[in-house]
Amino acid sequence: MLPSLLVYGLINSVTLALTALGFSLTYGISRVANFAHGALYVLAGFSAWFFLNRFHLNYYLAALLAVVLISLTGAAIYRFALIRVRGMPLLEIIVTFALGTAALEALRYFGFLGSHYSLPPLFRGSVNLYGVPVDAQRIALVVIGGLLVFTLWLFTHHTRIGLAFRAIAQDEQAAMMLGIDSDVMAALSLAVGAALVGLAAIVVLPLGYIATESGSNILVSAIAVCILGGLESTAGVIVASLLIGYTQILTVAYLGPHYQMIVALLAILITLILKPSGLFGKQKELEERV
Amino acid sequence: MRKKSLRISSLIAVVTIGVVLSSVTSGLSQQKGQPIVIGAPLSTQYLYGWGAQRAMLLAVEEINAKGGVQVGSARRPFRLEVLDTRDLEPGVPLSEAMLVVEKLILERKADILMGGPVRSEAALAAMDLIAKYKKVSILTTGALTPAYHQRIGENYAKYKYLFRITSQAGQLAKEATDLFEGLKQEHGFDQIFIMVQDVAHARAIGDIVGKNLAQKGWKVLGTEIYPTGALDYSTGLLKARDQKAQILFVWMDHPEIAILVKQWKELKIPTLPIAGISSAVEQPGGWANTDGAVANWVASPANAGNAPSNATPLTMKFYQAYTKRWLVEPEGYGTSSSYSAVYVLADAIRRAGSLDSDKLVAALEKTGMDSVYGKIAFDPKNHQVIPSYNPKEGAVGTWFQWQEGKRVVIWPSTIAMGKIRIPPGVTPPKGEAK
Repeated sequence: MLPSLLVYGLINSVTLALTALGFSLTYGISRVANFAHGALYVLAGFSAWFFLNRFHLNYYLAALLAVVLISLTGAAIYRFALIRVRGMPLLEIIVTFALGTAALEALRYFGFLGSHYSLPPLFRGSVNLYGVPVDAQRIALVVIGGLLVFTLWLFTHHTRIGLAFRAIAQDEQAAMMLGIDSDVMAALSLAVGAALVGLAAIVVLPLGYIATESGSNILVSAIAVCILGGLESTAGVIVASLLIGYTQILTVAYLGPHYQMIVALLAILITLILKPSGLFGKQKELEERV
Repeated sequence: MRKKSLRISSLIAVVTIGVVLSSVTSGLSQQKGQPIVIGAPLSTQYLYGWGAQRAMLLAVEEINAKGGVQVGSARRPFRLEVLDTRDLEPGVPLSEAMLVVEKLILERKADILMGGPVRSEAALAAMDLIAKYKKVSILTTGALTPAYHQRIGENYAKYKYLFRITSQAGQLAKEATDLFEGLKQEHGFDQIFIMVQDVAHARAIGDIVGKNLAQKGWKVLGTEIYPTGALDYSTGLLKARDQKAQILFVWMDHPEIAILVKQWKELKIPTLPIAGISSAVEQPGGWANTDGAVANWVASPANAGNAPSNATPLTMKFYQAYTKRWLVEPEGYGTSSSYSAVYVLADAIRRAGSLDSDKLVAALEKTGMDSVYGKIAFDPKNHQVIPSYNPKEGAVGTWFQWQEGKRVVIWPSTIAMGKIRIPPGVTPPKGEAK
C-alpha cells in the first residue's frame, strides 16, 4: 500500500501543481485573481478535441494550437474586459468569474457534455514502479510538470519578458519608470497563465475525459494550492501541491474517497485563519507580524 | 325596398354559412381532439435524460401516426413537453428540478407527467409536489431508490398518482447477487470489492449487495464511496488489487466512470469488472470513448431492450425503430422503459376513457400488457412495476458484457445472447477461464 500511496500521491501533487501554476503566475505579476481559470482549462480541452476530431489535425499540432488559442483568450480577457476594472480587485474577480461561468454554461447549453469528449493519451504503455503499475501518460505528466517548473524559472530569470514580469511583480511603479508597460505585462501574464492551464489540460485530460463540470473543481483546487502556498509564490505552489496532493491520497486511502474534496476546502480555511499570506506568500506578512 | 330585402337576405345567408361552417369545424376539431400533453422533467444533457426523451418522442410519433389515443369517443394525439431538470449535474440544487415539475404542470398544462426527475433525491423531493396537484406521474428513468415505492405503499392515499415503470435498487441488487452467485458456482469466485457513487440509489445497492453476498459466504473486501464527479480512482483500484479481489463491482451513473474504466485497464487490475447502471459503460459508444478499455466489462442498463436481445417479439422491433429514428442504438437505462411507458399510458387512457387522474390510476393499476422488456403490470399497493426473470411474467432486467466491441447480453439466461467471458489475467478458482 505504501509504494502506491507514494507514487500516486506524487502524481496527484504534480497534477495539482500543473493546474495551479497559471493562476499563481498571473496573480503574482498582475495581481489579477483569474476566476476564469477553470473555464480556460475546460476550453483548452474542447479546443484540442475540436482540432483533433473536426479538423483532423495531428495530435501534437492540435494540442499546440489549443494552448495558443487559450493563451490568446487569456490576453483577450485582459484587453477587452479586465483593463476597464484594473486595480479594483473585487470587480476583477466578478468579471473573470462571470466570464468563466458564462463559458461553462454555454458549453453545457450547446451539449458539450458526456464521456465521448475525450482526448487520447499522448503516451501509451505502462511500467512497474516498486510493484505499482503506472501508465506512461502519468509518468509523462510528472516529467512535464518538472520541466515546466524549470522552464518557468529559466523564463523569469533569463528572458527580457520574464525579467519584466518580475520587475512588475516586485514594484509596479518603479518598473513603469523604467519603461515597462504595466498593461502589456498584465495582458501577457494572463496569456502565459492561460497557456499554462491549457498545457495542464492537454496533459491531464487524456487520463479521463473533458468534463465541463470539472471547471469549478479545477478553480477550487488551484485557489486552495495558491492560498496555502502563498498567492504569488511558485515555490509555494510546489510545496502546497505536495501537501494537499498527499493529504488527499491519504484521505482517500484511510477515510474514504468522499472526503477528498474537503481537503482542499479545509486547506483554504485553515490557511486563512492561521497564516493568511500562505506558506511562502509575502502579501500580508507585515500585517500578520503586527 | 327590394334592395333592403336583398341586403337582409345576404346577411342571413352569410350568418347561416358562418354558423354551418363553424359547427362543421368544431365537429372536426372535436373528432381530432386537443393534444394530450405529456410533461417530461428530464436531465436532458445526460444519457438517462436524452435517451428517455428520444424514446418517448418515438412512441408519441408512432401513436400519433396511427391516429392518436382513443379517449371516450374522440381520438387525441399526444404532445411531448420536455424541460431540463439538470438534476444529474453535480452542484445543481434540487430546487431546480422542483421548479421544472411545477412549470410543466402550471405553465405547460401537462395532463400527465412522465420520465423523471431523474436523480433519486430529486424524484423523492418531487413526490409531494406531484401529489399536491394530483397529476398522474410515471417514472421511467433514473430514480432507483427503493424509498420511492416504499413511500407510495406507506401513504397510498396521498401518493397513489405516482407509478414507477422501471426497476429499483432492491431488484437490481437482487439481480446482481444472483449473477454473482452464478459466477461463484461456475468459476468459484467469492471475493469482491465494491466501488459506488455517493448518491442514494448507488449507496443503497452497494449496501444491499454487500450484505447479501456476505450472508452467502462471500468476502466483501471493501466498499469505497466516491463523490459525484470524482476524477481519480487509482487508490480504490489498487486497494482492490492488493486485497486480491476477484470481482470489482461498480455502481456509478456519472460519466466520470469512463476514467475508472481507463484506470482499471492502465493499472492492470486483475478482476472481472461488473458495473451496474453506469452511463459510460452502457452506451454503444463506450468502446470508442474508452479506446477499448471497456472490453470485458459487464454492465446493466436495467431493462431489456436497452441492449440488443430477443427478450420479447417487441424488443428488436423497438431496437431497430429507435436506431432508424435516432441513428444510434438505444443507449442505456431509461430508453426502453420510457418508450413502453407511453404505450402503457395510451392503453390506460383508452380503458379509462378519460384523463381524470383517479380513473387513470385505476386503469394503470389494472395494466397487463406486453412490452419491449416483458409483461408490464404494477403492484397495486406501491405502484412499482412487477419484475421477473421471465419476460412472459414480468419486467425483465438485462446484463451485458463488452465483447469484441459489441454489447452481448449474458444474463439472465432467459434472454442471454452469449456467455460471460473472464478477462485475461484473472484466474478463476475453479479451473481455467472459459
